[in-house]
Amino acid sequence: MQRDTLVSFEGVVKRFGSFVAVQKLDFEIRKGEFLAIMGSSGCGKTTTLRMLAGLEAPSKGVIRLSGKPINDLPTWSRDTPMVWQSLALFPFLNVRENVEFALKMRGVGKAERRRRAEQWLERMQISEFADRNIAQLSGGQRQRVALARSLVVEPEILLLDEPLSALDAALKVRMQSVLKNLQRETGITFVYVTHSQSEAFSMADRVVIMSRGKIEQIGTPQEIYRTPRTRFVADFLGSSNLFSGKVRAAGGGLALDTPAGELRLAPDAGQTVGDTATMTVLDTKTHLSVTVPAGAVNVVPVRVIGEEFVGATATLYLETSQGQEIRVQKGHDEFADLPIGMGQNLYAWWNPEDAHLVAES
Amino acid sequence: MRRPITLYGLTFSLPLLVWQILFFVFPLLFLVALSFWTVKNFAMRPDFDTVNWTTMYGRAVFWQAYGTTFVLATAASFLTSVLAFPAAYAIAFKLSDTARRWAVFLMVIPFFTSYLVRVYSWQIFLSDSGIINVTLGWVGLGPLPLLNTVGATMIGYLTLSFPLVVLLQLFSLVFIDRTLIEAAHNMRCGRLRTVFAVIIPSARTGLVIAALFCFILSFGDFVSPIYLGGGEPTTLSILITDTTKSGQQWPRAAVIALTMIATLLAVAFVAVKFAYKGKSK
Repeated sequence: MQRDTLVSFEGVVKRFGSFVAVQKLDFEIRKGEFLAIMGSSGCGKTTTLRMLAGLEAPSKGVIRLSGKPINDLPTWSRDTPMVWQSLALFPFLNVRENVEFALKMRGVGKAERRRRAEQWLERMQISEFADRNIAQLSGGQRQRVALARSLVVEPEILLLDEPLSALDAALKVRMQSVLKNLQRETGITFVYVTHSQSEAFSMADRVVIMSRGKIEQIGTPQEIYRTPRTRFVADFLGSSNLFSGKVRAAGGGLALDTPAGELRLAPDAGQTVGDTATMTVLDTKTHLSVTVPAGAVNVVPVRVIGEEFVGATATLYLETSQGQEIRVQKGHDEFADLPIGMGQNLYAWWNPEDAHLVAES
Repeated sequence: MRRPITLYGLTFSLPLLVWQILFFVFPLLFLVALSFWTVKNFAMRPDFDTVNWTTMYGRAVFWQAYGTTFVLATAASFLTSVLAFPAAYAIAFKLSDTARRWAVFLMVIPFFTSYLVRVYSWQIFLSDSGIINVTLGWVGLGPLPLLNTVGATMIGYLTLSFPLVVLLQLFSLVFIDRTLIEAAHNMRCGRLRTVFAVIIPSARTGLVIAALFCFILSFGDFVSPIYLGGGEPTTLSILITDTTKSGQQWPRAAVIALTMIATLLAVAFVAVKFAYKGKSK
């Protein structure tokens, strides 16, 4: 175990009856990091968080907090405050009483309670609403109350279960920066469960990607984006083009025999002839040209089937002769000298160094 | 937003309105009128005299009965609520969905038999030669005076309102957002403390309404105080029958009845106000 490990999951399994929600989790949460657990619904991310909060007991394995096993510790004996998707604010208490709740449960005196709650109300910029009912607040204000309520006890770790999912897009982006700044300033470890790639990648120091109760990949957002480890991750992120086929020897190196043609592998791909492999190449590293570019080795003839302009970037959707869809993403001006009308025939190509292989999983 | 009254809406609401006017408003107005009538030689005469009001309100026995009835009904509301809550809590939070459905079904069964029959069967248990005292006699105890006591009246009130109070409490408990309970646990609030800090405040409306129903049922009940309580101490319902029997004093009985209705309206108003406190936007 590393010195800066705060939480470790060791062979943790969670079953609900015959349904396996989480199968054999092994990972660590580092002290002071912003960790996002990401996956589609039913992947086990919320169950993982709830086990950490003590709201579910693992069926197998050990969860350690600061080195001590916490499996048998009920949630009210742990210091793992959580922010719920529904926020779970108490409607029968006003804002101040909500924020003071956890302190009251810890037996903190009235004056001290009020002082500390006031601090957090101010910090979250909701002091003016202190005496209001929860029902009188907007979504963003409630969010701030929920954060203040959890952070007022100054915990070592804060668990967040998709807290931003009910907000509109603009507010979501604003709350993301609030959360990120809060985490940076307090140094509290944040564990943030979400299905949204943009939330996870914009805030987290490290991202855990889960699928069907298993971890597919853990890494920094850049690592995961640039080198998705499994086919699932590449598909899930949706920013890479994938080509599968058998490895064979070609021109002194290795190549992949795919329906789209023979695609060269980088010299250090580490594959042997006869293996089945999947190659991914980022849509931003995939290039287009009207003629076959001189010296290019991985060239796929394609036809334009769609285009999409968002802000400064443009995404072209193309189809290979076998009907596989690929995408290319660039700045607007990079497409300026290309004829990109519907049905236009072009060549997609990339450098073998920009492509890498992923596990099939 | 006020919506226009349509013929379609009237078709369905009018019969109810007519029924209410015929069988509630008219009798009530008649009761008010009756309270000003006078009785001469055991015969009632339409009149407008406040003598019934001054006579009744001037009598210590009336105010004693009023106090007794109010205290008994209040005690019954608290006792029933406190005894029903653990049952409603267990049904709402501890039982599986199937078991919960069975429990609700069992709570409905008491309504199958007449309340009077259930009170008579309590006599079989509580009388001096009843089941409880005979059983106590076998072990050399008793007999305890059980029947014709305030305790027996209370048992009658419980018989009357317990299943209803459990059901009303249950319906407010099952609609509590479970994440609120988890959130409380997550913030170091233990199980028992969560009941008082989160569950009761969340279910307040239903709990108060349930207690109100118990109060209304007990306040006007005649059966338990007479058949289990033995008519002592006198409640308002007993006083009404006594008044009508002695010298055809229906106008004075009307005064008692109107006072009871006014009391129930006032209690209901205060209770509902408290139940929904802080819930208006």
